Amino acid sequence: MRLLHLKVTLPLSILGLLLAGCIGGSEGNEGQGGQAGGQQGNTLQRVQDRGTLNCGINDAVPGFGVVTPQGEYEGFDIDYCRAVAAAVLGDPNAVEFKPVTTEQRFTALQSGEIDVLIRNTTWTAERDGAEGATFLHTTFYDGQGMMVPADSDYRRLEDMDGTTICVLSGTTTELNLATAFRARNLEHEPLSFEDNETLQQAFQQGRCDGWTSDKSQLAGVRSSWPDNQGGPDALRILDEEFSKEPLGPVVRDGDSPWAQAIDWTVIATIQAEEFGITSENVEQMKGDQNEEIRRLLGEENFDSGLGLPDDFAVQVIQAVGNYGEIYDRNVGADSPLGLERGLNDLYTNGGLHYAPPYR
Amino acid sequence: MTSIRVDTLEPLPGREEPPRRHVPPGRWLRENLFSTWYNSVLTVLFAALLGLLLYRVGRFVFVDGRWEIIERNLRLLLVFRFPDDALWRLWTAMYVLAGTFGLAAGAAATVRRAEVAAGRARPIGGRFLPLRRVAPVVVLAAVLLWLAGSVGATLLVAGAAAVAVLGRLAGTLLPRRYAKWTAVLALVGLAAAFGIVIGLGGVSPRTWGGLLLTIYLAIGGIAISFPLGVLLALGRRSSLPAVRVVCVTYIEIIRGVPLITVLFVGYLIIGFTLPPGTPTPSVVTRAMIGIILFTAAYVAEIVRGGLQSVPRGQYEAAQALGLSPVKTTWLIVLPQALRAVIPAMVGQFISLFKDTSLVFIIGLTELLGVADLITKQREFTAQGLIFETLLFVSLLYWVGSYSMSRESQRLERRLGVGER
Repeated sequence: MRLLHLKVTLPLSILGLLLAGCIGGSEGNEGQGGQAGGQQGNTLQRVQDRGTLNCGINDAVPGFGVVTPQGEYEGFDIDYCRAVAAAVLGDPNAVEFKPVTTEQRFTALQSGEIDVLIRNTTWTAERDGAEGATFLHTTFYDGQGMMVPADSDYRRLEDMDGTTICVLSGTTTELNLATAFRARNLEHEPLSFEDNETLQQAFQQGRCDGWTSDKSQLAGVRSSWPDNQGGPDALRILDEEFSKEPLGPVVRDGDSPWAQAIDWTVIATIQAEEFGITSENVEQMKGDQNEEIRRLLGEENFDSGLGLPDDFAVQVIQAVGNYGEIYDRNVGADSPLGLERGLNDLYTNGGLHYAPPYR
Repeated sequence: MTSIRVDTLEPLPGREEPPRRHVPPGRWLRENLFSTWYNSVLTVLFAALLGLLLYRVGRFVFVDGRWEIIERNLRLLLVFRFPDDALWRLWTAMYVLAGTFGLAAGAAATVRRAEVAAGRARPIGGRFLPLRRVAPVVVLAAVLLWLAGSVGATLLVAGAAAVAVLGRLAGTLLPRRYAKWTAVLALVGLAAAFGIVIGLGGVSPRTWGGLLLTIYLAIGGIAISFPLGVLLALGRRSSLPAVRVVCVTYIEIIRGVPLITVLFVGYLIIGFTLPPGTPTPSVVTRAMIGIILFTAAYVAEIVRGGLQSVPRGQYEAAQALGLSPVKTTWLIVLPQALRAVIPAMVGQFISLFKDTSLVFIIGLTELLGVADLITKQREFTAQGLIFETLLFVSLLYWVGSYSMSRESQRLERRLGVGER
């Protein structure tokens, strides 16, 4: 009888626990829509109330987002997180960096885990439409390219019929590669890898004839190619670009004030470069005779209605500099990646960066 | 009960050590490695292969390997972005652990010796056993300190080692009646260490990374999934269909799903299952819950195997002695069942320790994640340094796993697993 007692009470308590879990679970499922709905709207207000920005980033892309040995985040995308925090909160350090994976990034955005996703994410129709995400002003125009050993005969994609190509698996890069070769009626054998490090080993061992990736990444790899492998001169990046990869911040659908705040943060950095405002001369520029410059820097008693502080552009430029400074520091001339400006130059220099007027 | 123990642990009569044969090295070689022409060929061939392998590995470790990446990033690998001004908390926690675990080990050794002297337990292992136990940890500490090249850290580690040794000495001097409380003390030490690190303005686990996060997830996962798994195993053997069905369903569903899926579902769902208004637990906590739920199902099946190995007669004998069902389970059945499954259980925990690397999928940066991340840094990108970082984290994983394995073997010998 007493044995039965144990057999009843002990499992019953487990049953109770599990049932509680189940009920909690089903309630939660109903609550899911509500909570997701609750994440809509007014992120700007919530970020300002909270006092910190939750920025979804990648912490392992050279030039765009890495952790330094001192434990600091740095990179092009990281600087834009800081820029948004400076604009909205007046403090570039009020950022909580949340590393997110490719698989998890849109879910993290939907669930409110992060306020904005700045993680080298390519703007595509499907992501814009089906993921419930809104893509904002492009910060970096990238494109897929092909890198081959300099001593090979490959000068154009057409020369590469029947070759083996190293590529990262599960990315749009893999699909673009297939499309590019099909369009040119060429055969190729893709060799997929999970990460760049193992891919690089395979490439060095000659297991593939070409390495395809975003050109920014290829340039970064090339410029820091080890000397015992021949240094940067051992590699050649083909001129062809066979995809468009516009990268920029992403927010949840249906939150215009927040989207506008980030859009104009990005625009301010581009406009600042156009005006020649840098992190060093921003204080002097406040007194510039150009009325447009004074308006951007909040000296003109101008209310845009964007919900940003008057001096948001000053905060941004003091924190991270103008677009050119951000670019050079992280991916451009002053960085190991050493990328040319190319498409990422101002429209006045033949690039694509064009800021709508701030008036 | 005492008499039963004496019976099982008494050495069998007539069992003698096999005679030791002393063979000179030359003859040993001839007999074992060069007995026939083909054995000679195989010996030479494999000796050459082994030599080549050792040479290549040795050359990589001592000559070719560029260990600067590890030296510069040692802190990221061990504690990731743990703030500088809170590092003293980690050191203090280390000293607390060294002291309490040293004390517990000393007390346990005394109890052990007394039991052996009274003929109630078998002596275990040889003279060098303690050395073999601590050797991997000592080697690891030496490697880390050599890489760190910091006098302060060396002194602090030496201090912690001294505290552990002193604690062990103090433990052996402790009166017997307090001895059994030292195990509790060790647990209190663990809790205190945890409290020192996070409590009173400390650093919340949500920002942890590197080895610290790996160890946190592994210890938390083991400590909570074990009792949960035992409950599930008992529930699965319950005579109540409802309880049985729930437990079986839980176990079979979880065992039918990859850990990576459980982690991902946990990441998405846990926030939604809480009542509205409660803050969503951090990603680390959600990962911990996923790991616990997953491991508990496996532990449950391992424990069930152990429960099945306990003969029916044990239950009947316990009933005949008038033990209550709770006491029957707690004093008779579970000790025998758990003793029988130590190897499988430790295997599961070692597996859990290494599986914590899967939390990368929900954006956490544990040890393996840091190893990948540091190869993307400004000065190390595209340098092909992945071998160095992977070899280094392999060493950390290996020392952890090997230590667990050794402790399990020790426990098995002490409890006489595999003997009747």
